[in-house]
Amino acid sequence: MKLILSTSNIMGAGASIYRPNKSKSNTEIVSSLRSNFEAHSPPPTPTINGNPITTNGDSSKSQSKPSYKSWTRQPTPTTLEIPALDFTVSALQEEREQYDITLKLFYLPSSTTSSSSGASPTAARRGAQTREALDLVLRTLHMPSVDLLIVSFPGIYFDEEEDCPDKLSTRGPVEAEPEGLESQIETWKTLEKLYEEGLVKKLGVAELGHERLKAFLERTGVKPSVDQINLRDCCSVPKDLMALAKSKGVELLVHNDCSNILPRGTVRELLGCGEGGAGVLAQATKTGDKRKSLHGEEGKNGSAQEEGLRGEVQPLWVVKYTAVVKNRGVVENKGYFAVAEVTA
Amino acid sequence: MGLLAVGTPLEWPEAKKVAGHVREWGIEQLLAIWRRAKGKERDALLWGDEIEYLVVAFDDEKREVKLSLRQADILTALANDADLLKQGGGVPDLQRGHKKTGKTAPTFHPEFGRFMLEATPGAPWGIGFKDLLDVEHDMKWRRQIANDHMYASEYPITMTTFPLLGDRKSITPWYAPSGPKLRSQFVPDEIANPHIRFPTLAANIRARRGRKVELNVPAFHDEKTPWPFKDPTVDYDMHNWPEDDDVRNGAAKENHIYMDAMAFGMGSCCLQITFQAKNIEEGRKMYDQLSPLGPILLALTAATPIYKGFLADTDVRWNQISRAVDDRTPEELGEAPLKTDRWRIPKSRYASNSTYISQDPRLRREYLDPDLVVDEELKQRLLDGGMDDMLATHVAHLFIRDPIVVFAEDLEKLDLDKTDHFENLQSTNWQHMRFKPPPAGNDTGWRVEVRPMEIQITDFENAAFAVFVVLITRAILSFDLNFYLPIPRTTENMETAHRRDAVLNDKFYFRKDVLPKRSAKTNGASGPPSGASTPQLAPSRPASPFGPVEDEYELMSVDEIINGKPEGGFPGLIPLVESYLDSVNVDVETRCELAQYLALIRGRANGTLWTAAKWMRHFVRGHEAYGRDSVVGAGVVYDLVKAVERITVNEGRDGFAKEMLGECREQG
Repeated sequence: MKLILSTSNIMGAGASIYRPNKSKSNTEIVSSLRSNFEAHSPPPTPTINGNPITTNGDSSKSQSKPSYKSWTRQPTPTTLEIPALDFTVSALQEEREQYDITLKLFYLPSSTTSSSSGASPTAARRGAQTREALDLVLRTLHMPSVDLLIVSFPGIYFDEEEDCPDKLSTRGPVEAEPEGLESQIETWKTLEKLYEEGLVKKLGVAELGHERLKAFLERTGVKPSVDQINLRDCCSVPKDLMALAKSKGVELLVHNDCSNILPRGTVRELLGCGEGGAGVLAQATKTGDKRKSLHGEEGKNGSAQEEGLRGEVQPLWVVKYTAVVKNRGVVENKGYFAVAEVTA
Repeated sequence: MGLLAVGTPLEWPEAKKVAGHVREWGIEQLLAIWRRAKGKERDALLWGDEIEYLVVAFDDEKREVKLSLRQADILTALANDADLLKQGGGVPDLQRGHKKTGKTAPTFHPEFGRFMLEATPGAPWGIGFKDLLDVEHDMKWRRQIANDHMYASEYPITMTTFPLLGDRKSITPWYAPSGPKLRSQFVPDEIANPHIRFPTLAANIRARRGRKVELNVPAFHDEKTPWPFKDPTVDYDMHNWPEDDDVRNGAAKENHIYMDAMAFGMGSCCLQITFQAKNIEEGRKMYDQLSPLGPILLALTAATPIYKGFLADTDVRWNQISRAVDDRTPEELGEAPLKTDRWRIPKSRYASNSTYISQDPRLRREYLDPDLVVDEELKQRLLDGGMDDMLATHVAHLFIRDPIVVFAEDLEKLDLDKTDHFENLQSTNWQHMRFKPPPAGNDTGWRVEVRPMEIQITDFENAAFAVFVVLITRAILSFDLNFYLPIPRTTENMETAHRRDAVLNDKFYFRKDVLPKRSAKTNGASGPPSGASTPQLAPSRPASPFGPVEDEYELMSVDEIINGKPEGGFPGLIPLVESYLDSVNVDVETRCELAQYLALIRGRANGTLWTAAKWMRHFVRGHEAYGRDSVVGAGVVYDLVKAVERITVNEGRDGFAKEMLGECREQG
């Protein structure tokens, strides 16, 4: 079963925008997914009359969550939208040319295919994922194309020359070894097709240091226009990278995302039937994952436990999209889609 | 200051007679603009900053610094600079070049004080992030050009006020005080720009008021300050004008520094920013949302600890300007029973604003000023003309004032293609925010002016605050932030901002929850953040009912407001700006430059960096010639202004004034 998680537009959506200084930089996606699930799932219905005053944890014992099936959608037997997607109304108000639309696609570390084994299957898989991500965003925004597609490969980090202790803490769990250049170049070739079809006006990469960027520039047809790097508060761009970027017309943009934006455990927490979970996944049967099962949960989420999806959950990719009104600098729409797979 | 029309100005009694006439024509002109431009859409963000300078003249041998009254000569030199004109710069009121290539050169404007200059960028800024980096360069360019057209002994400094203004000595060339227009015992009429508008403005304010303006600034009580403090510079024996009786009638208050002329307020330098909104709706929203930030920006930019040679116990200029142009009569002030005047008026023409104007559903009636005075007849005329109640109320509030300067020639015929009568009232309502309709005759849109900030010593700081305000507006619009606070609380905050080191020690009313409430939306159909008029989809659960307004806000320190509260409380304006920047594509060089600006503001708010007010006070109190008696002598001021010049040039890179500027300039 493929799961499509979405945030809808997070710009007008409250607390998800706030990034406390020391928190991980995937707080935004995690909290906005959670709040979008909450906003779409009907409120819990009290099963016992009385005690309307209590609002704290105790009262929730007497309430049961409605089934996730009431607010998600299964467009095909093997796909589940969480929450249900609706593309009928355009999310943007103005004409295409008013916007600067950027997509950033995070290929997540894969457990099934080792990065060292043949590049082509990886590239083909990612090519399909990219097209799917782009398609979801274009349908959401009712736009025919995007301005910039940045791809982020798992496990690679641009290396700052100077110490920047803040940065390490923002990388998120390292679940992948830096993968080989070959597979990345192969993947890039699939992106070039999107460019040629006019769906994407510019292509970009993330976290490439001098060596990798140089190789990319030498070995690709459509050159990256952008290299997006994470600087945190340390404004120290390696001189060789800066010089290369300038000489080749590659724009160095700043980002503040961690590459492993959606670790496996996070997805399980978001969708599980524990506290704050969406009740889509059944309780894991592996003993190692049972630590979340605290008092009362089984009773409270009994229905989720029964009908929840079972199996291993594996996040595949995440796309972040932003639409900025060009001449006003206003971010009109920003959101995420995340796709994961549940395998029995 | 603008509006340098030429004509025959009416003296006060005549001007008063035609006040109603000017107001009515002003309203008709506004309605014409309203009809023409209310549907104006999709204007780009364009914005501009205004920097005001004091021109000082040093005499290094005598160790003296004076205000130079050569504004007119300097402007003439600037207006005749062929190179400047070629690049589109110059002095628009005198002569303006046509842009040829490259960047447009800045333009220079006269200001109220004859010792002042104002400079603006030659063309407005956009929101291209690289534009933001040009702001500081342009400000430096402006100062350089101004300096190039001055004597070698002169320098354009950006202090809010000249510390010796009104000492009867420190102006060059020298003139005697007690002239017929200002009738000040401290400054001569020649302190004001000689253009007929300015002396008329000063004289008619005084005449309307029935006495001189009265500025009493609390004196700083130092170890050896005689206490109670009686301003020793006040002359009680002057008998040139009827107004000389003011001080004998108690105009000079105990424990205060006393001043008596418009020049003491309108001679102050400010940092003002004007934004063009996408449409009238966005403009009204920005006006409302920026209003509660005004007092915070004022406290953060505090730079005015000295008046007339004394240390003051306050840090900012605001109330002094307010009093310097306060034309209210004793009846309007509530000092005498209402007989001939129409109403009591709680605030000066120069004051924090008193209206919200947005048609935002989040605007609760409880936020509005319960003491608002409006001219109901004019409001009705606006309503009849098709304006909505909210905006009509705002304008009818501004129009409770009399026009001060009226030119006889303008009363002959009503020209609906002009805006002069409307602007007459609008531009002499100096509130901390100003909502500006499109001017006649060009494509400019609806604009909002942010007016509370004090000018900073360096161009780096001025650029930092200007850019910060720009980024805040983008965050407000992108995140749909809600800063609404009952207006009387903003008025109180404005007073709080005056206190010495308010930025460190005082608390301000501020809204607790500024983030929007999420309404459930289907995935595709999330409306634009600014779409107050977009129909909202039904929320999946009932919206929480409004609680008491008092629960919506609390007292916060400037540090909490700017940098946020720990543990998930109030997010802080800088983290909001950073969240915004994380959502847009910014190149590394720009982001690093912006990081320096934000670091400065963060430091000012958390106290690691001093305000100019604190730094200057510290400089004076640490000076060997300071007698710990609140007197800031000419020698101390010479060294202070020299130090200010040094800071302007080096911006702390030489290690000087690091308390104020920190390491901000070295992070790049």
